[in-house]
Amino acid sequence: MLTSTHNFEAFTKEPISFLNQTGDWVADFELPFSHDELLSFYSKMLRARLLDDRFMTLQRMGKLSFVAPLAGHEAAHVAVATAMTKGTDWLFPYYRDYGMAHILGLSALEVFAQLTGSKLDTAKGRQMPFHPGSKELNIYTAISAIAAHIPPAVGVAMSMKLRNTGQVAIASFGDGATSEGDFHTAINYAGAQGAPVVFVCQNNRLAISVDFKKQTGSETIHEKAKAYGMPGYYVDGMDVIATHLVMKEVIERARSGVGPALVEALVYRYGPHSSADDDSVYRSQDELELWKKRDPILRLKLYLEKQGVWTQALENDLKEDITQELNNALELVEEAGKAPTEWMFDDVFADMPQHLIEQKEELLGE
Amino acid sequence: MMQTIVQTVVRTLDEELARDQNVVILGEDVGKRGGVFLATEGLFAKYGPDRVMDTPLSEGAIVGAAVGMATHGLRPVAEIQFADYVYPGFDQLVSQAAKLRYRSGGMFNAPMVLRMPAGGGVKGGHHHSQNPETHFIHTPGLKVIYASTPSDTKGLLKSAIRDDDPVIFMEPKRLYRAIKEDVPDDDYTIPIGQAKIRQEGNDVVLISYGGSMAETMKTAEELSKQGISAEVIDLRSLMPWDKDTVLNSVARVGRTVLISESPHSLNFVSEVSATICEEILDALLAPPMRVTGFDTPYPYAQDREYLPQPNRILKAVQKVLDY
Repeated sequence: MLTSTHNFEAFTKEPISFLNQTGDWVADFELPFSHDELLSFYSKMLRARLLDDRFMTLQRMGKLSFVAPLAGHEAAHVAVATAMTKGTDWLFPYYRDYGMAHILGLSALEVFAQLTGSKLDTAKGRQMPFHPGSKELNIYTAISAIAAHIPPAVGVAMSMKLRNTGQVAIASFGDGATSEGDFHTAINYAGAQGAPVVFVCQNNRLAISVDFKKQTGSETIHEKAKAYGMPGYYVDGMDVIATHLVMKEVIERARSGVGPALVEALVYRYGPHSSADDDSVYRSQDELELWKKRDPILRLKLYLEKQGVWTQALENDLKEDITQELNNALELVEEAGKAPTEWMFDDVFADMPQHLIEQKEELLGE
Repeated sequence: MMQTIVQTVVRTLDEELARDQNVVILGEDVGKRGGVFLATEGLFAKYGPDRVMDTPLSEGAIVGAAVGMATHGLRPVAEIQFADYVYPGFDQLVSQAAKLRYRSGGMFNAPMVLRMPAGGGVKGGHHHSQNPETHFIHTPGLKVIYASTPSDTKGLLKSAIRDDDPVIFMEPKRLYRAIKEDVPDDDYTIPIGQAKIRQEGNDVVLISYGGSMAETMKTAEELSKQGISAEVIDLRSLMPWDKDTVLNSVARVGRTVLISESPHSLNFVSEVSATICEEILDALLAPPMRVTGFDTPYPYAQDREYLPQPNRILKAVQKVLDY
């Protein structure tokens, strides 16, 4: 793995990109990963895509009430998940980040359990689908309110700094989130007080239906970092290697005490905002086709093919394994059933206060 | 030691900072300046900038950062300079702090305290006089306490700091320096959820909390001159609140007047009153009467008239006695 930093340039005019859409390595330095490591990136992105496919299938079957598709974001998800130190660093995901959370280590079982409000959900069926969380993996349970997770990310980072734990907080969000007050107030605090936090914006230029041009007067997101006293990096979010390398560098810099950074990863959302959305009314097919040519999985496959490392057999095996894994997880979740009503009154506070005991009795008639 | 409410806040914070390395303070002007009310005076010099932190001017950042710090392992005591300014941080409070333990199924929690000077009578008008506790009480997942004396301030603040969930610690700013009390020097806590009977009586039960305790006690004194014996309950804790103490007293006496300077509609005492009616109607000799602030923004020119003064409370007492 990488030991030296590249000192990537902040505030570049063009997005940092090393693996282009025809699968050619165009950087002025050698690809710093072995074939095995590249295959690992590849299989992770494939896994994220298959997971996403499964979400869509389940929703169409009526087994999931709601889906926020992640297709197009796979490279960004894999890059962030592999750049951070699992179990040490803290991830603050938003609702589209199940690929990221799963690649970081959240099992398929935990994913499907949360999506279905299952008895097996580690969060006890408390939230609607697409709210990842894990104590073990330091994944701060996602919240529906956009950008609301960013101030606590800075708070966690401040604690990491004050207690000298050597950890980093990574806050992930979309372009829409950068208009919320919480984004500005949090990044301002981080820049003012040197919090070890990395802000990563997956800019797909759409906030549900609202185009980027209506979202901000800035040309880009990353340039806003200057106002907050930190470097901003402009990255091709369809290039898993470029995104990983930049994320890795800024995370390790934050860990060493240099301070926070903002990374803007340009991605594209192939699907609608959610299963409740009709994107045909606001997005053109032409634009979609253009971006599909930039597909993150495709370009890495092209590179690996050229290296003679990728084969169809390999791909089929991968798909089969992952599919089986997802099937198994789903089966277990379906068997277990919904989180019981008795659990509804727990975890408001550490101990159940008298009025909740009474309210529980009223509902459950004990 | 004889001390005021605000002196008690400083000394209690000092003790807790010394007792637990994870306790930190954050807010606007809490560091070098010692707080605009001097509620954190001297702590910056004693504990340094890593434990007593001056933040940017942003309640959203203060509350949100406190949530994060608490989740990660610190015990932050954050200050909102005036309760009236909590609103920029309101979403972090109700969406993050209040719901963290619940939405994470207990995987994460935020042991944090949010201190705020509240209440009117300081000639501050709209944005230096509010009592916004109803918003917090109505949000499941927040504890809300409101001490009215120096000795209660110490015990309740310690409980708040040691609690594993978010506690909003409201301070009656117009009483900050109004009362001096001999506060015990030992390390004691007062459980959250426990009211205090300030004086016993048989003719009417006066229930109040926070700044209004001053006018309530004055009223009780006036009543005793008229030969009317009032039982006075200081709720101290609003979420959760001490239903047992309230119902015991009111059931025994049969008449009650509830006093709170917050605006009338959905004033917290409405909740207490509704509970009294639901659970001990047969014991009541008169309907519970509320004496509250008005459903107006807090006026500057009528700084005193807005508050439930003894004359209004006495009128309500007369009503329940005559019923």
